[in-house]
Amino acid sequence: MIRRAGLLLALAALLGGCAEPPAGSGPITIVFKHAKILGSLDPIPGLLREFERRHPGVTVRSEPLSWTSDEQHQFYVINLDGRTPSFDVLLLDVIWVPEFAQAGWLLDLSPWVMPEELAPHFPAAVAAATWGHGVWGMPWNMNVGVLYYRSDLLAKYGMTAPRTWEALVEQAARVRAGERDPRLDGVLWQGKQYEGLVVNTLEHFWASGTSLLGDDGRVLPDPERAASALGFMRGLVERGVSPGWVTAGDEELTRRPFGDGRAVFVRSWPYALDLFETPDSPVRGRVGIAALPGHAGGAAGAGATGGFHLAVNRRTRHPDAAIALVRFLASDYGQRAIAAPGVALYPTRAALYHDAAAVRAHPGMPRFHDLALAARPRPVTPYYLMMSTTLQPEFSAAVVGVKRPEQALAYARRRLEYMLSGLR
Amino acid sequence: MTARQRADRRAGLAFAAPAMLALSALAAYPALWVLWLSLQQRVPIFGIARFVGLDHFVFLAGDARFWNAVRVTLVFTLASVALELTLGVAVALALQRQRSGRRLALSLLLLGWALPSVVTAKLFEWLYHPSAGLVNVVLGGHAINWLGDPRLALPGLVAADVWRTMPFVALLCYARLLTIPIEVYEAARVDGASRAATLRSITLPLLRPILLIALLFRTLDALRAFDLMFVLTGGGPANTTETLTVYAYRSLFQTLQLGFGAAIGVVVFALVMAVAWAYLRALRGAGVAA
Repeated sequence: MIRRAGLLLALAALLGGCAEPPAGSGPITIVFKHAKILGSLDPIPGLLREFERRHPGVTVRSEPLSWTSDEQHQFYVINLDGRTPSFDVLLLDVIWVPEFAQAGWLLDLSPWVMPEELAPHFPAAVAAATWGHGVWGMPWNMNVGVLYYRSDLLAKYGMTAPRTWEALVEQAARVRAGERDPRLDGVLWQGKQYEGLVVNTLEHFWASGTSLLGDDGRVLPDPERAASALGFMRGLVERGVSPGWVTAGDEELTRRPFGDGRAVFVRSWPYALDLFETPDSPVRGRVGIAALPGHAGGAAGAGATGGFHLAVNRRTRHPDAAIALVRFLASDYGQRAIAAPGVALYPTRAALYHDAAAVRAHPGMPRFHDLALAARPRPVTPYYLMMSTTLQPEFSAAVVGVKRPEQALAYARRRLEYMLSGLR
Repeated sequence: MTARQRADRRAGLAFAAPAMLALSALAAYPALWVLWLSLQQRVPIFGIARFVGLDHFVFLAGDARFWNAVRVTLVFTLASVALELTLGVAVALALQRQRSGRRLALSLLLLGWALPSVVTAKLFEWLYHPSAGLVNVVLGGHAINWLGDPRLALPGLVAADVWRTMPFVALLCYARLLTIPIEVYEAARVDGASRAATLRSITLPLLRPILLIALLFRTLDALRAFDLMFVLTGGGPANTTETLTVYAYRSLFQTLQLGFGAAIGVVVFALVMAVAWAYLRALRGAGVAA
């Protein structure tokens, strides 16, 4: 008799297990798609286990994508366009957020995430997450363009970090004349035909007091200033302030020579500092960090921001769990983990840049705080990727000198207008 | 037709059917789909899907970037295939002469061919490095801006492609050389033919069919070249290394203009088919079973 009751119970449990569990209860699994995290330490597994501990019944499966940006974009587009519910939370490059939001692929988080919850993050990061009238993601990590300089060399000649590009050119000339080292270059930056060139050019546009997209949505609202900014970049190469090869230089190609002590200045991202300060680095202790210079007669310099945001797939079957995961990863606890030693990422929560433990792991953080605060996002528009790929060859043509800046910009503008007219 | 012949024919069709089916599913269907896509404006991100007929082709006809890509593709193909064939034959002849260490030479030769092309590209990225690169060090320490100079980037890519695929031509030719009976050469020597005459009248004519096949393969590959430029220069500087396939990739996968990108794909397809057809005719003329 007892045995039969046991059997019945087991059967009932089995049947219960087959039925769809009501939302919010029972064990569920959510899938987190993200770029492979570079650097010696991956903070994600530890964070996910902590999330599971705090949310009993929720399991998170983490599925890394390849680290190349193009492949991640392609994967997301194909799958989201196919309305897949196979992943719930995704890590997005900031420049894709408005694009995916426009396509209707992301869950609008604004009913859950109040403005107060975004306030602790840097404004440039928040700007990229809030497009139109929605909140399409929570900022997770960020990058900001900064100027590194050789503090020992500048001090030797009685100089401090340059405020304008024109001053930088003069300083580079003085240091190089004094050092008489033919292998010492002036300033390195990213001039290869790729996204990095667009970022560098945008920063020169801003420093000249103009931008790529006007407030009224017009492309290149002030072509003259834009042309003079591009002309200045070409001038850096022509005058030998930058070596000719910057026209093929990407982040790593420019970071290394500076790290070997072979340039006075380099424009790069925060990750480079950790590499300049490794124990066997020739420039350890001799690197200063400054805001990107402005242009004389233009505006103060501002670095461009990059980074990744956490978003929720609109087709998710578990919106509550997915939103909880996004908020957890973007929380103070979640971002503390990416400010830990050995992680090559920088958080978006401003307070962490003065946190004792974080500063011990990354001594440059207080300095980066001010630069990130003044930083600007790339144009927040669903058309950004199309604009960038159209502009890359034209900017490159101006920088290598096969087109005059005015010519390159006029062509870019015509082409952009054609492309955008086909989409509206 | 006898009953036997008819049965053979049926059996032949039955045997060929799986291959035909696979080909039509894997090649014909996608090709037709791309053709259909190329007649549409389709941008999933903006929810755009409408029929535009030949609009994309009309735009391409007046698109400076497209004609630049056509020019880059043709220059790259002509230069790299010509160099690969010349060097390939030279290396095959040298291998044939070689007395010892032939096995080692063959394996070294295969190395370049066996490397995935992205690995080759990364390798050349360091070889061409302006200050630390082996190429500049060997050339006397000049800081030559290989990949950032609009005049040097394409030649730089051609050199990388030749390094990578010349072994393929060399091995094909070498295999053919091994099958030329030694008596032919002996007879030539008896007749007092010079080395140059032997090469011109015996070796090269006998290599001709295999060279045509190598030419066909290499040309079709070079017309579709993508990975080297994608990794090394991204099509730059100033689009001087942007081939048709790179242009198609940028439109299709980076900016997701599926219709427009497909139109470029159709042009590449037409170009490759035309070249293949011309070669196959030449091959038939040369008496090689195609």
